[in-house]
Order: sequence, then structure tokens, then C-alpha cells
Amino acid sequence: MQILSEAAVRRPKAAMILAALVSVFFVVGVAAPSLWPDRVSFLPALKVDTDPENMLSPHEPVRVFHNDRKAEYGLNDIIVVGVIDKNHESGVFNPKTLAHVYELTEYAKGIEGVIERDIIAPSTVDNIEQAGLGTVSFEWLMKTPPDTEEAAQAVSDKAGHIPFLNNTLVSDDGKSLALYVPIVSKDISYRVSQSLREKIATFDGEETYHITGLPVAQDTFGVEMFIQMAVSAPMAMVLIFLLMWLFFQKVSLVVSPMIVAMVSVIITMGALVMTGNTVHIMSSMIPVFIMPIAVLDAVHILSDFFDRYPAFKDRRKTLEHVMGELSKPMLFTTLTTAAGFGSLAFTPIPPVQVFGIFIALGVVLAWFLTITLIPAYIMLMREDKFGDFGLEHSPVNCGRFLACLGPFTYAHAKLILAGVLVLIGVAAYGISKIQINDNPVKWFTESHDIRVADRELNERFAGTYMAYLELSPKEPAAVHVDKTLREGLEEMNTPAAKEALAQWNESGGDFDALREYVYGRSDNAGSDSEWEAWDNISILIDDANAAGEIFKDPELLRALSDVQDYLVGTGRVGKINALPDIVKTVHRELFLGEEEAFRIPDTRAAVAQTLITYQNSHRPDDLWHFTTPAYDKTVLWLQLKSGDNKDMNEVVADVEAYFATHDMPIALDHNWFGLTYINTVWQAKMVSGMVSAFLGSFAIVLAMMAVLFRSILWGALCMIPLTVTIAFIYGIIGLVGKDYDMPVAVLSSLSLGLAVDYAIHFLARSREMAANYPSWKETIGPVFGEPARAITRNVIVIGVGFLPLLAAPLVPYKTVGFFISAILLFAGIASLLILPATIKLLEKYLFKKKGETS
Amino acid sequence: MKFFLGVAAILLLGTGTAQAAKMSVDEIVDKANHVSYFQGEDGRASVRMVITDAQGRKRSREFTILRKDVDPDGADEGEQKFYVYFSRPADVDKTAFLVWKHVGADDDRWLYLPALDLVKRIAASDERTSFVGSHYFYEDVSGRNPEEDHHELLEETDDYYILKSVPVDPGSVEFSWYKNYIHKATFIPVKTEFFDAKGRKYRENSVEKVETIDGFPTVMQSRMKDLRSGGETVQTFLDVTYNVGLPDVFTERYLRNPPRRYLK
Repeated sequence: MQILSEAAVRRPKAAMILAALVSVFFVVGVAAPSLWPDRVSFLPALKVDTDPENMLSPHEPVRVFHNDRKAEYGLNDIIVVGVIDKNHESGVFNPKTLAHVYELTEYAKGIEGVIERDIIAPSTVDNIEQAGLGTVSFEWLMKTPPDTEEAAQAVSDKAGHIPFLNNTLVSDDGKSLALYVPIVSKDISYRVSQSLREKIATFDGEETYHITGLPVAQDTFGVEMFIQMAVSAPMAMVLIFLLMWLFFQKVSLVVSPMIVAMVSVIITMGALVMTGNTVHIMSSMIPVFIMPIAVLDAVHILSDFFDRYPAFKDRRKTLEHVMGELSKPMLFTTLTTAAGFGSLAFTPIPPVQVFGIFIALGVVLAWFLTITLIPAYIMLMREDKFGDFGLEHSPVNCGRFLACLGPFTYAHAKLILAGVLVLIGVAAYGISKIQINDNPVKWFTESHDIRVADRELNERFAGTYMAYLELSPKEPAAVHVDKTLREGLEEMNTPAAKEALAQWNESGGDFDALREYVYGRSDNAGSDSEWEAWDNISILIDDANAAGEIFKDPELLRALSDVQDYLVGTGRVGKINALPDIVKTVHRELFLGEEEAFRIPDTRAAVAQTLITYQNSHRPDDLWHFTTPAYDKTVLWLQLKSGDNKDMNEVVADVEAYFATHDMPIALDHNWFGLTYINTVWQAKMVSGMVSAFLGSFAIVLAMMAVLFRSILWGALCMIPLTVTIAFIYGIIGLVGKDYDMPVAVLSSLSLGLAVDYAIHFLARSREMAANYPSWKETIGPVFGEPARAITRNVIVIGVGFLPLLAAPLVPYKTVGFFISAILLFAGIASLLILPATIKLLEKYLFKKKGETS
Repeated sequence: MKFFLGVAAILLLGTGTAQAAKMSVDEIVDKANHVSYFQGEDGRASVRMVITDAQGRKRSREFTILRKDVDPDGADEGEQKFYVYFSRPADVDKTAFLVWKHVGADDDRWLYLPALDLVKRIAASDERTSFVGSHYFYEDVSGRNPEEDHHELLEETDDYYILKSVPVDPGSVEFSWYKNYIHKATFIPVKTEFFDAKGRKYRENSVEKVETIDGFPTVMQSRMKDLRSGGETVQTFLDVTYNVGLPDVFTERYLRNPPRRYLK
């Protein structure tokens, strides 16, 4: 390894120029295909993907099912626009506001990518109601904006009377409105929401508009994520720079770690983009993760160089000495960090794999750049610049503090370890309290528009989070159809029946084909008897078809209704829209709008006729959002007030419990889809994936440490600070009630990577130094000199350097910022306290071969 | 649903050359309206409707339509009565609709649901709602009064008059305008295209089969496409007859007791 450093030291200019050229290459490589897509089509353009759904592979069964059913039921991703007026007596139901709502709806219809026919707004939905004795009316709920207060209030009253609209379109108190704007794909939701906001800005009313929904949250996150990448990372860099300046005095010198960090980030991100990987929520954080790691080694070198220079008074000799001391621990810290992140490649989550692999690459790269560029850079500085180097010139050197700390660990080793044990107990309790949970809307800070909208709307409506539960017969409807048809045809036993059966077999059970065939035969029948024979088959086809239409069965619809009541009764579901509600509503309005008629009618034909009545509306196809035209499956729309995975999981558990204890008229399968549900699936995968990745990398790092120190005991010792750090970090997460979400999960890898670094440096240097002293007691002084100072400087520079992330408006960045700082602090403290204390207690085992090591 | 397209073809052929060049827009519209809904004193047809959605899923309806002009000899073409009697799917068997079509007033509509033993009047409001879940509207069944639109001759080709029609009351309909291709020889509107406020075509009816029955060129198959959803409805007419001599079965009483004689 020193060979590399020596080469760089010999030809420092060449090293710097090479690094600059490589950086330029990657910058151009990333920018070119985006700027001139035609001319550089051979390179992949920068692709951003903020869809948490992509945390799962596209082939993941739950995703395949989700997309399949979304297409089948025509269910699209939805932007929710809430309209609230807290001042007006009747809320938003006044002529002026409704005119705005009408205008906004018309505007939304024209936005590219909005599915006009499925918009839910007062002017786009039907109202079915009594219109005098014996008369039923189907009309637009709000065909045109009303002129009077009374007419405006009527819109609210009518919508409130229709279960499908109540608490969905109009709030429970009848004062607020929510529009549901379906879009063709999630990745246009930011554009569509911005377009809506522009329109809203032209209104001069008292009312406020709130836009939310998972797709908007996710897409907006993508946009703001980039702003964050451009703001937070440089801010952290600046602070790190200032801190290093404070320690090392020389602006020109501390520029070097900045160069290392920048070049590492540029090349890693460049390689990511140029290899065609998308910049995902995870990979957007790569720069933030690479920077501390890249700076870390450089700080070790600078720290050592700064302290040692006065002894040599020659930069080359000082460098030789420094690199001689540090090259081994730096290599190992790099390998362990790379192993920690590399282990993420074994998680079942594609974006996490990419994240792990590229950080691992970036870490190795940062190491390479550190051991070459930093010495090269130092060689390029004039010798006289280092004149005022040395400990005595540093305004902040922690020397006195560290000089006391060393003996303290020796004197109170048992006390320290006892304290650690107590804290581990507390941490264990905290860990047991950890809530595994995530919610993309909560990736924004409380004051963000999307969070405000989320709160305001979920306070007033049944919920802005959609989950879908599909129910289908365990024995497919096609089996019933086939059975009825075969038995009927065999019973008829006419030539026509035989022909039809042959046709049925030949077509492989294609129902439409058989119907066409039979129509053709009966239309062209040569005689009345022939016509009758074919017409009888046509009737049989109808019966067979009906046999498959199981969700017209009143008994089954009532059972569904019970499922709905149960789920809403748990309080975890805001509302459920489903087929039984449509049947009940139409039935009620057919029977004078009386409440007792709000029920499922008693016969199948009555259900069918209720449904055909419903289809005489402006939006007959709304029915197919709830069932199929074959009525062989149905879907319940659940509206949840919370998109938290833990809440969704509870609903899933409720459904399991219900179906486990209740018999349905026929055996049903139940399957979930919808974004709110999908999020729980990848979360579960992530948690288990992270645990195994962590355990795997822990084992690998332990093995590496055993090899590095050629001792299992030393190796195990090296793992203590990181184990304690991780226990503390996750203990705190559990104790303060912070959800274990995506960023928190990946922090375990960062902890592993960073915390072990300090231990390696501390132990490697301690072991080396111990060879020169009779016992640990004498060694402690020197160990708490330069090595401890390097660690302390590191903790301060990087720990404080990442605090600006706390100002980010995106919670994952805050989380990462806070925990990087906390991890460094804990790891630093753990290394400087626990390690020397443990060494003292285990001294005779650790140093038994003393004398041979020198 | 431009059925009962009865046209005195012979009459037309006889006078066609004299008329063709000089017809005014209103004359074209009136004639097209006449051949679409007012030929013969009355008529009956069996209809098979296949509704296909964008996913290719099919549903079918079968029903019989009876139609009678209130005043067959009157010059005023408008007052008409329709009786629509469903036979399939089996679970809507015997469901029936009754329509009294008025000129200059809203139509009266009734609905009979046998399984609920219920006769309901349907409030006179919007007639541009789906007809039993198909892509045809009620208004397509009973006919849109020509007085409700302003008509303009866009183009005249060898075979067609191409008309643009703009609603008098834009608020009453979902379209912004529609375009009709009226066949010169028969006056059958063979294609109708509906456009929205942004000028996008979103709905299109086309006549696919015409036969001459009892001397009247008659539409035997037509297709309505919903270009927004990608679905379509094809209706096929069977057993079309004109001048059946229907008695007055167009009353509420006959909803519960269908006039079977005329329905088979």
C-alpha cells in the first residue's frame, strides 16, 4: 500500500492531474447524455426514480399482482385535492368556492395525463335520488356551479346522503370537499400537482387547497431530494472544511481532504449513472454517506502529519513515517467499511443492493485517493508552509483532556465497563421498544405542505391512503361456468348441443367465442326447430354465465357488507367503498329513499336489476372499479387515515383474523394491493434483509479483524465499540419512539463501517506502541497522545460536520445527519473509553506474547 | 342508436337528382332525422348488444324495441313512444323501459324492475346517460331533437353531406359539437363524431351494415366507440319489421304485463 503513496509522492503533479481528468470524465459522462441526448445516446441519461414501489423487484409477486389488478379494475394512482374553508359558516359550500372548484375540475380535465372520466369531483359524479313520488333521478351532483347559498348547501347534503361520496368527496361535517384526480402514472404527479397549484393561485377566495396522496408525496420527494443533494452535502462539506481549518490552521492543507471527498463522490455517482442505474431515494444519499468516510482517513493522515512534522522537519520523511503507521489500519478500516456496505448486496431489495455496492466502491476509491492524493498534495505545498505545525500550535488540541482520559480509563476500568453494561441494558430495553414503521408522506417535515395537507384532510375525511382488498372464490368461477354448461349440454343431448360442446372444447373454454358461435347458428337456422335448439343453448349459456357471477349473490353481498362493518368498526379504517354499498344505495333510492330500504335485496335477479339501474348513469363503468363484468371477483376500497406501515399491518391482521373465524357463504381468497399495502411488503423485506446483511457483515468484519490482528481475542475486542454503538443508536431510536424506517435501517451498515474504524486505529496503534513499553499502564500515555487525538479530531470534524443535515426539509436527511453524528460520537467515546478499560482487564491475555511482536 | 332507419328508397331515387344539389342544411337534418327515427307508422326490432371494454371483456344484452308514432300522419315529427323489453341476461329478463318522446319538452321515462316488482318514473333530467351500461346514451335510443343544435354544412362530397352541429345550450350536454356524415342516397348518418371543448374527438358511432327492409333502408349493425376509455358497444338488429300495427301498449300498465305477442 505504501508503494501507491510513494508513487504519488514521487510524482505529485501527475497524481493530481490524473484525478482531475478522471473527475472531468465522469462529470461529462453524466452530464452529456442529459444535455445532448441525441449525440451521446450510447450513454445512459440520468434517471431519477423516487417510487418506493421499486424497493421491490418488478417481478416480485405482490407487485405483479398489484399492477395486474390495478389494470383489471381500472384503479389509478390518485392525487387528492382538499378544499377547506374554516371561516365560512357553510365551509366550502358557497357559490363562490364551488365556482372555483368547478373551474379547477374543468382545468384538471385538460391536464395531460389526468384520466378525465374517473375524476371524482362535484361536477363529475352522479347523484341518484328521489325526485318526487315514484320518481327516481340520475343527474350530475353539480352540473354547473350553484347561484345561491341554498343550492350550494344542497350539493353538500346530496353528496352526504350517498355513501360512496360521503366522507370521500364531502367531509363528515359537510363543510369541506376533496377532489380525487386519477393520473396515468405516478411519475407525473409532481407535474400535475404543480399545474393544479398554478391554477389554484389564480383564485381569490377564502378557501385553502391542500394537495396530498402517496403518489404526490413520492414524486415531490424526488424533486426535493435533488435540491437537498445540492444544498445539504455542500453545507456539510463547508462545515467540515471549517472545522479542519480550525484544527490544522492551513487552508491550503485542509483543501486536500475536500478534494478527496469531492472526487470520490463525483466518480462514484458518475459510475452509478453511467452504468445505467437510476438515482433512487437510497442512492441519492450515497454522497452523504461517502463524504464522512472519505474525509475520515484523510483526517487521520493530516492529524498524524500535523503532530509529527516538527520532529522531522521534512515533509517527505514525515509522510513516510505517517504512512508507515497508518497504511495498514487505513486499509483495514476501508475493507471493513466496504464489507459493511457491500453486505447490502445480499438484501432482497434492488435499490439497497445498488446503494450498498456503490458505497463500497466509493469507500475503496476514497481510500485509494486518500493514500495517493493527500501525500501528493502535501508534496506540492512549499516546505516553509509547515513551519508552524505541531501540537503546540493547534488552538484546539484536546491534549489535556486526552492526557487525563487515558489514566482515567486505567484507574476506573471496572467502573467504565460496569457503566457500559448498564447502558447496554437500557439500550436493550430501547431496542425492544423499536417500532418498525415507515410512511413516505412522513419523509417530509411537519411543516411541509404535503404534511399539512395530510393532516388537514385526514382530520376531515375518511382517509387519503388507499388500500385494496380483492376477494375471489377459492374455486374459480370458470369452474362453475364450465360445469353448468357441460351438464346442461349433455342433458340436452341434441345434435346442436353436441356441436356446441365440441365447439366449447375446441375453443378451450372461450365463453365469448361460444356465444358468438351459437348466435351465428341460431341467426342462420334453417327451421324453427333448429332455431329453438340453438336458442335453448343460448339460454343455457346465459345460465352458465350466471353461475359464474357469484358476486350478484345477495347472501355473499351481505357477508361482504359484514366484513366492511367489522373493519370500519375496528376504528383503523376510515371507510370502505364496495359493491354492497352501490347495491344498497340504488335500492334505497328505488324505494322512496327510505333508510330501511338501504339493504341488499333478497334475490339475485333483484341485485342484478338494481345494478342495471345503476348503469343508467353518467358513469356506468364505475361499477368495474369494484367488480369485473363477469362478477367473479370483487374489490373493497379501504380509505385509511394513516399511511403508516404499522397501521396498514394492523388492518391486514384484522382481515386475517376475520376470515379465520368467519365462514363465508362460499370459500373466498383474499389478496391485498394498493400502494399503502405495497409499502408494508418491502418494509418487511427490508427489515429481515437488513438484519441478515448486518449479521453477515458483522461476521465478515470479525474475521477480518482476527486476521488483521492475528488474534481472535483482539478481533473480538475490535468489535466491541461498534457493537456498543449500534446497541446505543438503536436503543435511542426505540426509547425516543423514532420509527425504524428505511434510512434508519441502512444506518446499521454505516455504524458498522464507521465505528469499527476508530477501534482499528486505536487498537493497531496501541498494539504497536505497547511493544515499546513494559506494560499497558505505560503505553496509555502515548496512545492517548497522537492516536487518540486523531480519533477525537475525526469525531469532531465529521460529527459536527453533518449537523447541517438537520436543517433539511426532508426527514430521511435529518435522520441520517443526526445519526451519523451520533454514531461518530458514540463510536469515538466507545473506542476511547471501553477499549482501554477492556485492555487493562485483559492485559495478560492480550499481551502474553509481548516481546515477540517487535 | 339510430335504428328504425326507414327510408323510402324508391321515392328517394326518384327525386334524388332534383334534390341533391339544392338542399338546405335544415332540410338535410330533417331528412336524416326522419329516416333515423320516423319511418313507417310503427316498428319492432330485436336487438343484441355486445359491450366490450378496453380490456376486451364482453357483456351482452338482448331486448326487443317497439316504436310507435303518436301522430303518424302529422307533419310534426317528434311525438313518439318506445317500449324496450329485456330478455337477457337472464337475471334482467322482463325488465322494461317506456319512453314518451316529446317535442319541445323533456321526455317521460319509466322503468320496470320485475324482481323488485317496481315501476319507477325516471326524472326528466339528463338524457345523455348510459343506456343500460352500454356506450350508447338514452338520447341515442330515442333520438336527439334537431332543434337542440345549430347545424352547418361543412362539406359536401360525392357520397356525403358532412355537417357540424353545435348545441344551442352548451351547458346541457357533455359535447362541444358533433360531426355527422350523412349518406346522400339514403340520408342515413353513417358516422357521427363527438368532440369535447378542447376539440378532441372522444366518441364515435358508425353504421356497419344496412339492409332494405319493407322497402326501407335499415341500419342492421352499428358500433359506438368511447375513445377515452377504449370501450365500444356493437348493436345488431334482428327481425326488423315496419308497420306492425301495434296497439297502444305504451302505458305503465303494460310494463308489468308485457305485450308478449309483439315481443317474440
